[in-house]
Amino acid sequence: MALPLPPGLTPPEIAFICEMELVTIIPRQKLEGLKLLGAPLKPLNPPQRASIPLWLALLLKRQRRANIVPPPWLSPISLQAILDHETEQEDAFSPPPRLPPSSSGNEAPFSPPFLQSSTANAPPDALPYHWLELGEMLLEAAADDFEEPDNVRKLMRGLREVRMAKLRQGVNVLDAGGGVKMNGVGAMELGEARSFITGVVDGLRKISASREQQRKDRAREERENGYSGSADYDDDEMDME
Amino acid sequence: MSYYDVDAILTDAQKVPCAFELTVPGLGFLEGNMSGDMKQGSKVELPLWLGEMLALSQSLNTSSLVTLDHPAALSPRVLNALKADPKSVDLRAQAQHFYNLGARILELFDEEDMIDVLSDTFKSRAAVIADQANNGRGALGEGGDFLKKLDENERELFRAAHDSAKGVRTWMADLSKK
Repeated sequence: MALPLPPGLTPPEIAFICEMELVTIIPRQKLEGLKLLGAPLKPLNPPQRASIPLWLALLLKRQRRANIVPPPWLSPISLQAILDHETEQEDAFSPPPRLPPSSSGNEAPFSPPFLQSSTANAPPDALPYHWLELGEMLLEAAADDFEEPDNVRKLMRGLREVRMAKLRQGVNVLDAGGGVKMNGVGAMELGEARSFITGVVDGLRKISASREQQRKDRAREERENGYSGSADYDDDEMDME
Repeated sequence: MSYYDVDAILTDAQKVPCAFELTVPGLGFLEGNMSGDMKQGSKVELPLWLGEMLALSQSLNTSSLVTLDHPAALSPRVLNALKADPKSVDLRAQAQHFYNLGARILELFDEEDMIDVLSDTFKSRAAVIADQANNGRGALGEGGDFLKKLDENERELFRAAHDSAKGVRTWMADLSKK
């Protein structure tokens, strides 16, 4: 109540996190290596491609010192394929990019932004976690690096509409034991749908609170009478938390 | 529901029909009978908090002082209408805090059926609310009629859905300004 902000992240915050994603650029000028907090940046040599964080790429692009190579999934063909998949499959989102096979050894697990899901060698057939905000930012700042920016923009809008409609319809199957499968939903979509979905879940919980209470009472009685085994006991303890 | 929750207080202030089981001297003013007694068997609309107290408190001869009945908002007539078509019922006219009232009544009565009706109603109306909230003109045009029929919980939901959609739209608009 004290904070006027809703729970979760606001769109600018999500976009800020997205700016850590690595993107591929083709530098136009030489740039010496930078000692950044996250990791040192290697010197940029003009004809060679390099992967740098999105925020730096946008900065260099704005200063006309680099061209951004859009990730393969942001091409009209890939987007069209994903959009077709979304419209055919009524109750599932297109799957997220596959994780790289875990290499033996004690390496840290891969997750965005360390997963190179937005560089030029990202898989072309899957939308990564930050697809919406990354696509919007690239289209805004580097439209001239796309082959068909208007087409891409149109497909992005279509994808967004289809997926948001799916998210909204998902609440219809919510029930005491039901759930919505949200694999593949992006960060910005999650941020947009969060307050609505949690509101519905909260409302449903309030309505069936008495049923829940009865169930708990019954479980407790059974336990006190010694009817149920230890497995049931564990179950109930989980509910209490 | 916390102690200072205004919605919880307003929910408890809604009237429920109560029937007195005993004659109470000097309580006739509740019926508009200023100086008389409250007769046994007379029916009065009391706020939920008072009715609940009187119904649950056991008097000396172990029968409770009043018996509660379902409020008009949760009468079989309304529930049947909700079963038939959840989207066309004017919940706000029934009770401003319809679902909260339902939850409170369900605490007092054992009504498995009502839980199902209320959850189904809430779910199907939530889907419409989400569509209206994401459709900018919905609130002004034909959607306006539906929005007037929402209870407080649903209004809150509409506001949440609308604000988050607006947040994303604003962010995209700001992006192109830079």
